[in-house]
Amino acid sequence: MATLTTPTALPSTPGTSAAPPADRRRTRKARTLKAFKATPLTYLLLIIASIVFFTPLIFMVSIALSSTRTTAAGAFTIIPQEFYWSNFTDVFTATPLPVGRFVLNSVIIATTSAVGQVLSSSLVGYAFARLRAPGKGTVFMVVLATMMIPGQIVMIPQFIIFQNLGWVNTFLPLIIPNFFTNAFNVFLVRQFVARLPSEYDEAAQMDGLGYFGIYRRIFLPMMWPILTAIAIFTLTASWGDFMGPLIYLHRQELMPLALGLRFMTAVTNELQTPAWNLVMVGSIILTLPMLVIYFLGQKYLYEMSISTGSAGVK
Amino acid sequence: MFWIFASPWIIGFLVFLAGPMIFSVYISLTEWDSFNPPVFVGLDNFVRLFTDYPLFWRAVGQTFLYAVLAVPTTLAIGVFLANLLNKRIKFRRFFRTMVYLPVLVPLVATAMVFMMVLAPSGPVNQFLGLFGIDGPHWLLDPTWVIPAIVMLALWAAGGATILLLSAMNGIPKEFYEAAEIDGAGPMRQFWSITFPQITPIIFFNLIMGMIGAFQVFGQVFILTGGGPDNASMMMVPLLFREGFQFFRFGLASAMAWVLFVIIMIFTALAFKTSKRWVFYETEVK
Repeated sequence: MATLTTPTALPSTPGTSAAPPADRRRTRKARTLKAFKATPLTYLLLIIASIVFFTPLIFMVSIALSSTRTTAAGAFTIIPQEFYWSNFTDVFTATPLPVGRFVLNSVIIATTSAVGQVLSSSLVGYAFARLRAPGKGTVFMVVLATMMIPGQIVMIPQFIIFQNLGWVNTFLPLIIPNFFTNAFNVFLVRQFVARLPSEYDEAAQMDGLGYFGIYRRIFLPMMWPILTAIAIFTLTASWGDFMGPLIYLHRQELMPLALGLRFMTAVTNELQTPAWNLVMVGSIILTLPMLVIYFLGQKYLYEMSISTGSAGVK
Repeated sequence: MFWIFASPWIIGFLVFLAGPMIFSVYISLTEWDSFNPPVFVGLDNFVRLFTDYPLFWRAVGQTFLYAVLAVPTTLAIGVFLANLLNKRIKFRRFFRTMVYLPVLVPLVATAMVFMMVLAPSGPVNQFLGLFGIDGPHWLLDPTWVIPAIVMLALWAAGGATILLLSAMNGIPKEFYEAAEIDGAGPMRQFWSITFPQITPIIFFNLIMGMIGAFQVFGQVFILTGGGPDNASMMMVPLLFREGFQFFRFGLASAMAWVLFVIIMIFTALAFKTSKRWVFYETEVK
Protein backbone atom coordinates (compact mmCIF):
# COMPACT_ATOMS: atom_id res chain seq x y z
CA MET A 1 0.00 0.00 0.00
CA ALA A 2 2.62 2.43 1.05
CA THR A 3 4.74 2.01 -2.03
CA LEU A 4 1.77 2.60 -4.28
CA THR A 5 0.91 5.92 -2.79
CA THR A 6 4.26 7.33 -1.81
CA PRO A 7 4.93 10.32 -4.04
CA THR A 8 8.68 9.92 -3.85
CA ALA A 9 8.58 6.28 -4.85
CA LEU A 10 7.05 6.99 -8.19
CA PRO A 11 8.87 6.82 -11.50
CA SER A 12 9.95 10.35 -12.02
CA THR A 13 11.81 10.84 -15.26
CA PRO A 14 9.38 12.72 -17.46
CA GLY A 15 10.52 11.19 -20.71
CA THR A 16 10.20 7.61 -19.60
CA SER A 17 7.55 7.74 -16.94
CA ALA A 18 4.80 6.51 -19.18
CA ALA A 19 6.57 3.47 -20.53
CA PRO A 20 6.24 0.20 -18.66
CA PRO A 21 9.48 -1.34 -17.35
CA ALA A 22 11.54 -3.01 -20.01
CA ASP A 23 10.92 -6.59 -18.91
CA ARG A 24 7.19 -6.10 -18.87
CA ARG A 25 7.30 -4.47 -22.25
CA ARG A 26 8.98 -7.52 -23.69
CA THR A 27 6.44 -10.02 -22.43
CA ARG A 28 3.29 -8.03 -23.13
CA LYS A 29 4.34 -6.01 -26.05
CA ALA A 30 1.51 -6.89 -28.34
CA ARG A 31 -1.56 -5.74 -26.51
CA THR A 32 -2.64 -2.62 -24.73
CA LEU A 33 -4.82 -2.97 -21.70
CA LYS A 34 -8.31 -1.64 -22.16
CA ALA A 35 -7.85 0.96 -19.46
CA PHE A 36 -4.96 2.49 -21.39
CA LYS A 37 -6.43 2.30 -24.86
CA ALA A 38 -6.66 5.70 -26.48
CA THR A 39 -9.82 6.41 -28.43
CA PRO A 40 -10.56 9.31 -30.79
CA LEU A 41 -12.45 10.83 -27.87
CA THR A 42 -9.23 10.77 -25.81
CA TYR A 43 -7.47 12.80 -28.47
CA LEU A 44 -10.41 15.13 -28.91
CA LEU A 45 -10.50 15.92 -25.19
CA LEU A 46 -6.74 16.38 -25.03
CA ILE A 47 -6.80 18.70 -28.02
CA ILE A 48 -9.59 20.78 -26.48
CA ALA A 49 -7.71 20.93 -23.16
CA SER A 50 -4.51 21.96 -24.92
CA ILE A 51 -6.31 24.75 -26.76
CA VAL A 52 -7.97 26.01 -23.59
CA PHE A 53 -4.70 26.04 -21.66
CA PHE A 54 -2.73 27.55 -24.49
CA THR A 55 -5.16 30.29 -25.53
CA PRO A 56 -4.27 32.83 -22.80
CA LEU A 57 -0.61 32.50 -23.83
CA ILE A 58 -1.53 33.20 -27.46
CA PHE A 59 -3.39 36.31 -26.34
CA MET A 60 -0.35 37.37 -24.36
CA VAL A 61 1.76 37.24 -27.52
CA SER A 62 -0.95 38.65 -29.77
CA ILE A 63 -1.56 41.69 -27.57
CA ALA A 64 2.18 42.19 -27.20
CA LEU A 65 2.40 42.51 -30.99
CA SER A 66 -0.57 44.87 -31.34
CA SER A 67 -0.37 48.61 -31.78
CA THR A 68 -1.22 50.91 -28.91
CA ARG A 69 -4.36 52.02 -30.72
CA THR A 70 -5.62 48.47 -31.32
CA THR A 71 -4.97 47.50 -27.70
CA ALA A 72 -6.69 50.58 -26.30
CA ALA A 73 -9.75 49.82 -28.41
CA GLY A 74 -9.72 46.18 -27.28
CA ALA A 75 -9.61 45.24 -30.97
CA PHE A 76 -6.83 42.66 -30.66
CA THR A 77 -7.50 39.22 -32.06
CA ILE A 78 -6.33 35.77 -31.09
CA ILE A 79 -4.30 35.41 -34.28
CA PRO A 80 -2.14 38.52 -34.42
CA GLN A 81 -3.15 40.83 -37.30
CA GLU A 82 -0.33 43.26 -36.65
CA PHE A 83 3.29 42.68 -35.85
CA TYR A 84 4.63 45.64 -33.94
CA TRP A 85 7.93 44.06 -33.03
CA SER A 86 9.05 47.51 -31.99
CA ASN A 87 6.96 47.00 -28.83
CA PHE A 88 9.78 44.80 -27.63
CA THR A 89 12.17 47.77 -27.66
CA ASP A 90 9.51 50.37 -26.83
CA VAL A 91 8.90 48.64 -23.52
CA PHE A 92 12.36 49.78 -22.47
CA THR A 93 12.28 53.26 -23.99
CA ALA A 94 8.73 54.46 -24.51
CA THR A 95 7.37 54.26 -20.97
CA PRO A 96 8.18 56.59 -18.09
CA LEU A 97 9.17 53.53 -16.05
CA PRO A 98 12.72 52.11 -15.90
CA VAL A 99 11.78 48.68 -17.28
CA GLY A 100 15.40 47.81 -18.04
CA ARG A 101 16.19 48.43 -14.40
CA PHE A 102 13.26 46.24 -13.38
CA VAL A 103 14.76 43.34 -15.29
CA LEU A 104 18.24 43.95 -13.91
CA ASN A 105 16.86 44.15 -10.36
CA SER A 106 15.01 40.87 -10.85
CA VAL A 107 18.18 39.21 -12.09
CA ILE A 108 20.23 40.50 -9.15
CA ILE A 109 17.69 39.51 -6.50
CA ALA A 110 16.95 36.09 -7.99
CA THR A 111 20.56 35.02 -8.61
CA THR A 112 21.93 36.15 -5.25
CA SER A 113 18.99 34.47 -3.52
CA ALA A 114 19.71 31.23 -5.36
CA VAL A 115 23.41 31.40 -4.47
CA GLY A 116 22.45 31.94 -0.83
CA GLN A 117 20.08 29.00 -0.77
CA VAL A 118 22.51 26.65 -2.50
CA LEU A 119 25.38 27.50 -0.15
CA SER A 120 23.43 27.46 3.08
CA SER A 121 21.17 24.50 2.38
CA SER A 122 24.09 22.33 1.25
CA LEU A 123 26.02 23.12 4.43
CA VAL A 124 23.10 22.58 6.79
CA GLY A 125 21.71 19.58 4.93
CA TYR A 126 25.13 17.94 5.05
CA ALA A 127 25.30 18.58 8.79
CA PHE A 128 21.95 16.93 9.41
CA ALA A 129 22.84 13.95 7.24
CA ARG A 130 26.40 13.27 8.33
CA LEU A 131 27.53 15.03 11.48
CA ARG A 132 26.77 13.84 14.98
CA ALA A 133 25.61 15.87 17.94
CA PRO A 134 23.37 15.27 20.94
CA GLY A 135 19.93 16.74 20.33
CA LYS A 136 20.27 16.63 16.56
CA GLY A 137 17.10 14.60 16.18
CA THR A 138 15.12 17.13 18.16
CA VAL A 139 16.49 20.00 16.10
CA PHE A 140 15.49 18.17 12.95
CA MET A 141 11.95 17.83 14.25
CA VAL A 142 11.95 21.61 14.72
CA VAL A 143 13.17 22.01 11.13
CA LEU A 144 10.27 19.91 9.88
CA ALA A 145 7.79 21.73 12.11
CA THR A 146 8.81 25.14 10.75
CA MET A 147 7.77 24.04 7.27
CA MET A 148 4.18 24.19 8.42
CA ILE A 149 4.26 27.77 9.66
CA PRO A 150 2.56 30.20 7.28
CA GLY A 151 4.80 33.13 6.38
CA GLN A 152 2.16 35.75 7.12
CA ILE A 153 2.73 35.35 10.83
CA VAL A 154 6.20 36.91 10.63
CA MET A 155 5.45 39.41 7.87
CA ILE A 156 4.86 42.37 10.17
CA PRO A 157 7.53 41.72 12.82
CA GLN A 158 10.09 41.08 10.08
CA PHE A 159 9.13 44.35 8.46
CA ILE A 160 9.61 46.21 11.74
CA ILE A 161 12.99 44.54 12.27
CA PHE A 162 14.21 45.30 8.75
CA GLN A 163 12.88 48.83 8.99
CA ASN A 164 14.91 49.39 12.13
CA LEU A 165 17.97 48.00 10.40
CA GLY A 166 17.42 50.58 7.66
CA TRP A 167 16.91 47.81 5.10
CA VAL A 168 13.67 49.12 3.61
CA ASN A 169 14.29 50.20 0.02
CA THR A 170 17.25 47.86 -0.29
CA PHE A 171 17.37 44.33 -1.73
CA LEU A 172 18.63 42.97 1.59
CA PRO A 173 15.28 41.85 3.11
CA LEU A 174 14.64 39.82 -0.04
CA ILE A 175 18.14 38.36 -0.35
CA ILE A 176 19.68 37.92 3.10
CA PRO A 177 17.16 35.43 4.54
CA ASN A 178 18.15 33.08 1.70
CA PHE A 179 21.65 32.84 3.15
CA PHE A 180 20.08 31.22 6.20
CA THR A 181 18.39 28.49 4.13
CA ASN A 182 14.88 27.22 4.74
CA ALA A 183 13.49 24.07 6.25
CA PHE A 184 12.35 22.56 3.01
CA ASN A 185 15.73 22.83 1.30
CA VAL A 186 17.51 21.49 4.38
CA PHE A 187 15.17 18.54 4.24
CA LEU A 188 15.83 17.93 0.55
CA VAL A 189 19.62 18.04 0.88
CA ARG A 190 19.60 15.91 3.99
CA GLN A 191 17.53 13.23 2.30
CA PHE A 192 19.81 13.31 -0.71
CA VAL A 193 23.05 13.08 1.26
CA ALA A 194 21.69 10.42 3.59
CA ARG A 195 21.35 8.07 0.62
CA LEU A 196 25.01 8.39 -0.39
CA PRO A 197 27.18 5.49 0.83
CA SER A 198 29.27 6.14 3.92
CA GLU A 199 32.41 4.71 2.27
CA TYR A 200 33.05 8.18 0.88
CA ASP A 201 33.37 9.75 4.32
CA GLU A 202 35.53 6.93 5.61
CA ALA A 203 37.92 7.05 2.69
CA ALA A 204 38.16 10.82 2.94
CA GLN A 205 38.77 10.68 6.66
CA MET A 206 41.61 8.21 6.11
CA ASP A 207 43.06 10.65 3.60
CA GLY A 208 43.11 13.18 6.42
CA LEU A 209 40.34 15.48 5.29
CA GLY A 210 38.53 17.44 8.01
CA TYR A 211 34.76 17.86 8.14
CA PHE A 212 34.85 20.96 6.01
CA GLY A 213 37.15 19.26 3.50
CA ILE A 214 34.82 16.29 3.28
CA TYR A 215 31.90 18.63 2.71
CA ARG A 216 33.66 20.73 0.09
CA ARG A 217 35.66 18.09 -1.78
CA ILE A 218 33.49 15.02 -1.48
CA PHE A 219 29.88 15.94 -0.90
CA LEU A 220 29.43 19.31 -2.55
CA PRO A 221 30.35 17.90 -5.99
CA MET A 222 28.00 14.97 -5.49
CA MET A 223 25.09 17.15 -4.39
CA TRP A 224 24.73 18.98 -7.68
CA PRO A 225 21.46 17.35 -8.81
CA ILE A 226 19.64 18.41 -5.68
CA LEU A 227 21.41 21.77 -5.56
CA THR A 228 20.40 22.42 -9.16
CA ALA A 229 16.82 21.72 -8.17
CA ILE A 230 17.12 24.09 -5.22
CA ALA A 231 18.69 26.77 -7.41
CA ILE A 232 15.87 26.46 -9.96
CA PHE A 233 13.26 26.51 -7.27
CA THR A 234 14.75 29.60 -5.61
CA LEU A 235 15.20 31.41 -8.92
CA THR A 236 11.59 30.72 -9.84
CA ALA A 237 10.18 31.76 -6.47
CA SER A 238 12.33 34.86 -6.20
CA TRP A 239 11.79 35.93 -9.82
CA GLY A 240 8.02 35.67 -9.49
CA ASP A 241 7.78 37.04 -5.94
CA PHE A 242 5.36 39.93 -5.74
CA MET A 243 4.58 40.41 -2.08
CA GLY A 244 8.15 40.72 -0.77
CA PRO A 245 9.13 43.53 -3.15
CA LEU A 246 5.74 45.16 -2.59
CA ILE A 247 6.46 45.36 1.13
CA TYR A 248 10.11 46.41 0.97
CA LEU A 249 10.75 48.27 -2.28
CA HIS A 250 8.96 51.57 -2.71
CA ARG A 251 11.24 53.27 -5.20
CA GLN A 252 10.82 52.54 -8.87
CA GLU A 253 14.50 52.16 -9.66
CA LEU A 254 14.68 49.36 -7.07
CA MET A 255 11.68 47.32 -8.19
CA PRO A 256 11.97 43.91 -9.79
CA LEU A 257 9.94 43.23 -12.92
CA ALA A 258 7.15 41.33 -11.16
CA LEU A 259 6.36 44.41 -9.10
CA GLY A 260 7.21 46.93 -11.82
CA LEU A 261 4.69 45.36 -14.19
CA ARG A 262 1.91 46.33 -11.85
CA PHE A 263 3.05 49.92 -11.99
CA MET A 264 2.97 49.78 -15.76
CA THR A 265 -0.76 49.18 -15.51
CA ALA A 266 -1.08 52.33 -13.40
CA VAL A 267 0.64 54.60 -15.92
CA THR A 268 -1.47 55.78 -18.82
CA ASN A 269 -0.26 56.58 -22.31
CA GLU A 270 -1.38 59.25 -24.77
CA LEU A 271 -4.66 57.37 -25.28
CA GLN A 272 -5.46 57.58 -21.57
CA THR A 273 -5.21 53.82 -21.03
CA PRO A 274 -2.40 51.73 -19.65
CA ALA A 275 -0.11 50.53 -22.43
CA TRP A 276 -1.46 47.01 -22.29
CA ASN A 277 0.56 45.91 -25.30
CA LEU A 278 3.74 46.88 -23.47
CA VAL A 279 2.45 45.27 -20.25
CA MET A 280 2.09 42.04 -22.23
CA VAL A 281 5.62 42.44 -23.57
CA GLY A 282 6.69 42.80 -19.95
CA SER A 283 4.71 39.69 -19.04
CA ILE A 284 6.50 37.79 -21.80
CA ILE A 285 9.86 39.01 -20.50
CA LEU A 286 8.78 37.86 -17.05
CA THR A 287 7.67 34.46 -18.32
CA LEU A 288 10.36 33.51 -20.83
CA PRO A 289 13.23 32.91 -18.37
CA MET A 290 10.95 30.59 -16.40
CA LEU A 291 10.25 28.54 -19.52
CA VAL A 292 13.94 28.40 -20.38
CA ILE A 293 14.95 27.38 -16.86
CA TYR A 294 12.22 24.78 -16.77
CA PHE A 295 13.16 23.15 -20.03
CA LEU A 296 16.86 23.18 -19.18
CA GLY A 297 16.34 21.81 -15.71
CA GLN A 298 13.14 19.89 -16.28
CA LYS A 299 14.44 16.69 -14.78
CA TYR A 300 15.49 18.22 -11.48
CA LEU A 301 12.49 20.45 -11.14
CA TYR A 302 10.14 17.61 -11.86
CA GLU A 303 11.74 15.36 -9.27
CA MET A 304 11.51 18.15 -6.79
CA SER A 305 7.85 18.84 -7.42
CA ILE A 306 7.11 15.15 -7.08
CA SER A 307 9.05 14.82 -3.86
CA THR A 308 7.06 17.63 -2.28
CA GLY A 309 3.95 15.62 -3.01
CA SER A 310 2.01 18.80 -3.49
CA ALA A 311 0.30 20.10 -6.58
CA GLY A 312 0.94 23.68 -5.59
CA VAL A 313 -2.32 25.38 -6.41
CA LYS A 314 -1.44 28.93 -7.28
CA MET B 1 31.03 20.56 14.54
CA PHE B 2 27.39 19.88 13.75
CA TRP B 3 26.36 23.14 15.35
CA ILE B 4 28.82 25.14 13.24
CA PHE B 5 27.61 23.57 10.00
CA ALA B 6 23.97 23.90 11.03
CA SER B 7 24.40 27.46 12.28
CA PRO B 8 22.96 29.16 9.15
CA TRP B 9 19.66 27.45 9.73
CA ILE B 10 19.75 27.91 13.52
CA ILE B 11 20.54 31.62 13.25
CA GLY B 12 17.94 32.04 10.53
CA PHE B 13 15.39 30.20 12.65
CA LEU B 14 16.01 32.43 15.66
CA VAL B 15 16.29 35.74 13.78
CA PHE B 16 13.73 35.31 11.00
CA LEU B 17 11.18 32.94 12.52
CA ALA B 18 11.16 32.24 16.26
CA GLY B 19 12.09 35.78 17.29
CA PRO B 20 9.58 37.46 14.98
CA MET B 21 6.86 35.02 16.06
CA ILE B 22 7.31 35.95 19.70
CA PHE B 23 7.52 39.59 18.68
CA SER B 24 4.30 39.12 16.74
CA VAL B 25 2.47 37.95 19.87
CA TYR B 26 3.54 41.14 21.59
CA ILE B 27 2.60 43.35 18.61
CA SER B 28 -0.85 41.79 18.49
CA LEU B 29 -1.38 42.99 22.07
CA THR B 30 -0.48 46.59 21.25
CA GLU B 31 -1.69 49.51 19.26
CA TRP B 32 1.19 50.48 17.03
CA ASP B 33 1.36 52.59 13.91
CA SER B 34 5.12 52.50 13.28
CA PHE B 35 5.45 56.26 13.90
CA ASN B 36 4.53 56.38 17.57
CA PRO B 37 5.76 53.93 20.19
CA PRO B 38 3.54 50.87 20.80
CA VAL B 39 0.82 51.09 23.45
CA PHE B 40 -0.08 47.88 25.26
CA VAL B 41 -3.80 47.24 24.92
CA GLY B 42 -4.16 43.62 26.01
CA LEU B 43 -6.60 41.59 23.95
CA ASP B 44 -8.34 44.65 22.50
CA ASN B 45 -7.28 43.86 18.95
CA PHE B 46 -8.70 40.36 19.17
CA VAL B 47 -11.89 41.59 20.80
CA ARG B 48 -12.25 44.12 18.03
CA LEU B 49 -11.66 41.47 15.35
CA PHE B 50 -14.28 39.19 16.81
CA THR B 51 -16.94 41.75 17.65
CA ASP B 52 -16.44 44.93 15.69
CA TYR B 53 -14.87 44.12 12.36
CA PRO B 54 -17.42 42.50 10.03
CA LEU B 55 -15.13 42.93 7.01
CA PHE B 56 -12.64 40.52 8.55
CA TRP B 57 -15.21 37.75 8.79
CA ARG B 58 -16.46 38.56 5.34
CA ALA B 59 -12.88 38.18 4.11
CA VAL B 60 -12.55 34.86 5.97
CA GLY B 61 -15.77 33.62 4.39
CA GLN B 62 -14.75 34.75 0.93
CA THR B 63 -11.35 33.14 1.32
CA PHE B 64 -13.04 29.86 2.21
CA LEU B 65 -15.35 30.24 -0.76
CA TYR B 66 -12.36 30.83 -3.02
CA ALA B 67 -10.55 27.80 -1.61
CA VAL B 68 -13.61 25.56 -1.87
CA LEU B 69 -14.23 26.61 -5.47
CA ALA B 70 -10.61 26.54 -6.62
CA VAL B 71 -8.97 23.54 -4.99
CA PRO B 72 -11.40 20.64 -5.56
CA THR B 73 -12.05 21.83 -9.12
CA THR B 74 -8.33 22.02 -9.84
CA LEU B 75 -7.88 18.48 -8.55
CA ALA B 76 -10.90 17.20 -10.50
CA ILE B 77 -9.45 18.67 -13.71
CA GLY B 78 -6.10 17.17 -12.71
CA VAL B 79 -7.56 13.68 -12.26
CA PHE B 80 -9.48 13.94 -15.52
CA LEU B 81 -6.49 15.09 -17.58
CA ALA B 82 -4.04 12.75 -15.87
CA ASN B 83 -6.27 9.83 -16.71
CA LEU B 84 -6.26 10.88 -20.38
CA LEU B 85 -2.50 11.39 -20.40
CA ASN B 86 -1.98 8.04 -18.72
CA LYS B 87 -3.37 6.21 -21.74
CA ARG B 88 -1.20 4.97 -24.55
CA ILE B 89 -1.34 8.10 -26.62
CA LYS B 90 0.81 9.57 -29.32
CA PHE B 91 2.34 13.00 -28.67
CA ARG B 92 2.07 12.49 -24.91
CA ARG B 93 5.00 14.82 -24.33
CA PHE B 94 3.36 17.52 -26.40
CA PHE B 95 0.00 17.32 -24.60
CA ARG B 96 1.68 17.21 -21.22
CA THR B 97 3.69 20.30 -22.04
CA MET B 98 0.61 22.18 -23.25
CA VAL B 99 -1.22 21.43 -20.03
CA TYR B 100 1.79 22.23 -17.86
CA LEU B 101 2.95 25.48 -19.52
CA PRO B 102 0.59 27.78 -17.56
CA VAL B 103 2.11 26.51 -14.31
CA LEU B 104 5.40 28.08 -15.39
CA VAL B 105 3.93 31.51 -15.98
CA PRO B 106 4.69 33.79 -13.00
CA LEU B 107 1.60 34.83 -11.09
CA VAL B 108 1.96 38.51 -11.99
CA ALA B 109 2.08 37.70 -15.70
CA THR B 110 -0.91 35.39 -15.30
CA ALA B 111 -2.83 38.19 -13.60
CA MET B 112 -1.96 40.61 -16.42
CA VAL B 113 -3.15 38.21 -19.10
CA PHE B 114 -6.38 37.42 -17.29
CA MET B 115 -7.03 41.10 -16.79
CA MET B 116 -7.18 41.34 -20.58
CA VAL B 117 -8.92 38.03 -21.20
CA LEU B 118 -11.64 38.71 -18.63
CA ALA B 119 -12.26 42.31 -19.67
CA PRO B 120 -16.00 43.05 -20.11
CA SER B 121 -15.67 42.97 -23.89
CA GLY B 122 -12.63 40.71 -23.81
CA PRO B 123 -12.03 37.30 -25.38
CA VAL B 124 -13.92 35.23 -22.79
CA ASN B 125 -17.10 37.25 -23.21
CA GLN B 126 -16.66 37.35 -26.98
CA PHE B 127 -16.48 33.56 -26.90
CA LEU B 128 -19.57 33.32 -24.70
CA GLY B 129 -21.28 35.70 -27.10
CA LEU B 130 -20.92 33.10 -29.86
CA PHE B 131 -23.40 31.00 -27.90
CA GLY B 132 -25.68 33.92 -27.25
CA ILE B 133 -24.51 34.25 -23.65
CA ASP B 134 -24.12 37.77 -22.36
CA GLY B 135 -21.04 37.30 -20.20
CA PRO B 136 -20.76 39.04 -16.82
CA HIS B 137 -18.28 41.82 -16.15
CA TRP B 138 -16.16 39.30 -14.24
CA LEU B 139 -13.68 41.34 -12.21
CA LEU B 140 -16.08 44.26 -11.92
CA ASP B 141 -19.08 42.19 -10.89
CA PRO B 142 -19.44 41.33 -7.16
CA THR B 143 -21.07 37.98 -8.00
CA TRP B 144 -18.51 36.88 -10.56
CA VAL B 145 -15.28 38.29 -9.19
CA ILE B 146 -14.40 35.25 -7.05
CA PRO B 147 -15.16 32.74 -9.84
CA ALA B 148 -12.98 34.92 -12.06
CA ILE B 149 -10.08 34.68 -9.61
CA VAL B 150 -10.72 30.93 -9.36
CA MET B 151 -10.12 30.74 -13.12
CA LEU B 152 -6.49 31.72 -12.57
CA ALA B 153 -6.08 28.75 -10.25
CA LEU B 154 -7.78 26.44 -12.74
CA TRP B 155 -5.48 27.61 -15.50
CA ALA B 156 -2.60 26.17 -13.46
CA ALA B 157 -4.30 22.78 -13.03
CA GLY B 158 -1.39 21.29 -14.98
CA GLY B 159 0.60 21.11 -11.74
CA ALA B 160 -1.96 18.79 -10.18
CA THR B 161 -2.22 16.91 -13.46
CA ILE B 162 1.48 16.06 -13.60
CA LEU B 163 1.52 15.00 -9.98
CA LEU B 164 -1.53 12.77 -10.33
CA LEU B 165 -0.20 11.38 -13.60
CA SER B 166 2.91 10.13 -11.86
CA ALA B 167 0.73 8.70 -9.10
CA MET B 168 -1.33 6.83 -11.70
CA ASN B 169 1.89 5.58 -13.24
CA GLY B 170 2.77 3.91 -9.97
CA ILE B 171 -0.32 1.72 -9.95
CA PRO B 172 0.72 -1.86 -10.78
CA LYS B 173 -0.55 -2.96 -14.19
CA GLU B 174 -1.52 -6.32 -12.71
CA PHE B 175 -4.60 -4.70 -11.16
CA TYR B 176 -5.84 -3.71 -14.59
CA GLU B 177 -5.00 -7.08 -16.08
CA ALA B 178 -7.03 -8.82 -13.40
CA ALA B 179 -9.92 -6.42 -13.90
CA GLU B 180 -9.85 -6.99 -17.62
CA ILE B 181 -10.04 -10.73 -17.18
CA ASP B 182 -13.06 -10.12 -14.96
CA GLY B 183 -14.59 -8.19 -17.83
CA ALA B 184 -14.55 -4.70 -16.33
CA GLY B 185 -14.78 -1.83 -18.81
CA PRO B 186 -12.50 1.25 -18.78
CA MET B 187 -15.04 3.30 -16.79
CA ARG B 188 -15.39 0.62 -14.18
CA GLN B 189 -11.63 0.17 -14.04
CA PHE B 190 -11.12 3.87 -13.45
CA TRP B 191 -13.56 4.02 -10.53
CA SER B 192 -12.56 0.67 -9.02
CA ILE B 193 -8.78 0.81 -9.46
CA THR B 194 -7.32 4.13 -10.56
CA PHE B 195 -9.38 6.41 -8.38
CA PRO B 196 -9.13 4.46 -5.10
CA GLN B 197 -5.38 4.03 -5.64
CA ILE B 198 -4.76 7.75 -5.92
CA THR B 199 -7.26 8.87 -3.27
CA PRO B 200 -4.60 9.43 -0.59
CA ILE B 201 -2.67 11.74 -2.89
CA ILE B 202 -5.82 13.57 -3.92
CA PHE B 203 -6.77 14.03 -0.30
CA PHE B 204 -3.33 15.22 0.75
CA ASN B 205 -3.26 17.73 -2.09
CA LEU B 206 -6.77 18.82 -1.29
CA ILE B 207 -5.73 19.89 2.18
CA MET B 208 -2.37 21.35 1.16
CA GLY B 209 -4.10 23.16 -1.69
CA MET B 210 -6.65 24.61 0.72
CA ILE B 211 -3.83 25.85 2.93
CA GLY B 212 -2.20 27.49 -0.08
CA ALA B 213 -5.52 28.97 -1.20
CA PHE B 214 -6.11 30.54 2.22
CA GLN B 215 -2.95 32.55 1.63
CA VAL B 216 -3.99 33.88 -1.77
CA PHE B 217 -2.68 37.40 -2.23
CA GLY B 218 -1.07 38.49 -5.49
CA GLN B 219 -3.95 37.78 -7.85
CA VAL B 220 -6.45 39.55 -5.60
CA PHE B 221 -4.16 42.51 -5.01
CA ILE B 222 -3.38 42.96 -8.70
CA LEU B 223 -6.74 42.14 -10.26
CA THR B 224 -9.23 43.71 -7.90
CA GLY B 225 -7.53 45.07 -4.80
CA GLY B 226 -10.31 43.28 -2.93
CA GLY B 227 -13.12 44.98 -4.82
CA PRO B 228 -15.59 45.66 -6.18
CA ASP B 229 -17.06 46.76 -2.87
CA ASN B 230 -14.91 44.24 -0.96
CA ALA B 231 -16.56 41.37 -2.84
CA SER B 232 -13.17 39.72 -3.39
CA MET B 233 -11.47 40.83 -0.17
CA MET B 234 -9.63 37.87 1.34
CA MET B 235 -7.62 37.25 4.47
CA VAL B 236 -4.08 38.07 3.38
CA PRO B 237 -4.93 41.08 1.22
CA LEU B 238 -6.88 42.50 4.18
CA LEU B 239 -3.96 41.76 6.50
CA PHE B 240 -1.66 43.50 4.06
CA ARG B 241 -3.94 46.52 3.88
CA GLU B 242 -4.21 46.86 7.64
CA GLY B 243 -0.49 46.33 8.15
CA PHE B 244 1.20 48.08 5.26
CA GLN B 245 -1.31 50.62 4.01
CA PHE B 246 -3.05 51.67 7.25
CA PHE B 247 -0.03 50.79 9.41
CA ARG B 248 -2.17 49.21 12.11
CA PHE B 249 0.48 46.69 13.12
CA GLY B 250 -1.39 45.50 16.22
CA LEU B 251 -4.64 44.70 14.47
CA ALA B 252 -2.84 43.18 11.48
CA SER B 253 -0.81 40.91 13.78
CA ALA B 254 -3.96 39.79 15.55
CA MET B 255 -5.37 38.91 12.12
CA ALA B 256 -2.21 37.02 11.31
CA TRP B 257 -2.69 34.88 14.41
CA VAL B 258 -6.28 34.06 13.51
CA LEU B 259 -5.05 33.07 10.03
CA PHE B 260 -2.30 31.05 11.69
CA VAL B 261 -4.79 29.10 13.81
CA ILE B 262 -6.99 28.38 10.79
CA ILE B 263 -4.03 27.13 8.80
CA MET B 264 -2.71 25.06 11.70
CA ILE B 265 -6.06 23.31 12.03
CA PHE B 266 -5.89 22.30 8.39
CA THR B 267 -2.24 21.32 8.69
CA ALA B 268 -3.05 19.10 11.65
CA LEU B 269 -5.80 17.56 9.57
CA ALA B 270 -3.35 16.94 6.73
CA PHE B 271 -0.88 15.31 9.09
CA LYS B 272 -3.41 13.19 10.87
CA THR B 273 -4.65 11.78 7.62
CA SER B 274 -1.38 11.53 5.77
CA LYS B 275 1.06 10.10 8.31
CA ARG B 276 0.97 6.79 6.56
CA TRP B 277 2.10 7.92 3.15
CA VAL B 278 3.74 11.32 2.99
CA PHE B 279 7.30 10.77 4.07
CA TYR B 280 7.18 7.01 4.17
CA GLU B 281 9.79 6.19 1.59
CA THR B 282 12.27 8.87 2.56
CA GLU B 283 12.07 8.22 6.29
CA VAL B 284 15.63 7.90 7.49
CA LYS B 285 16.82 5.41 10.02
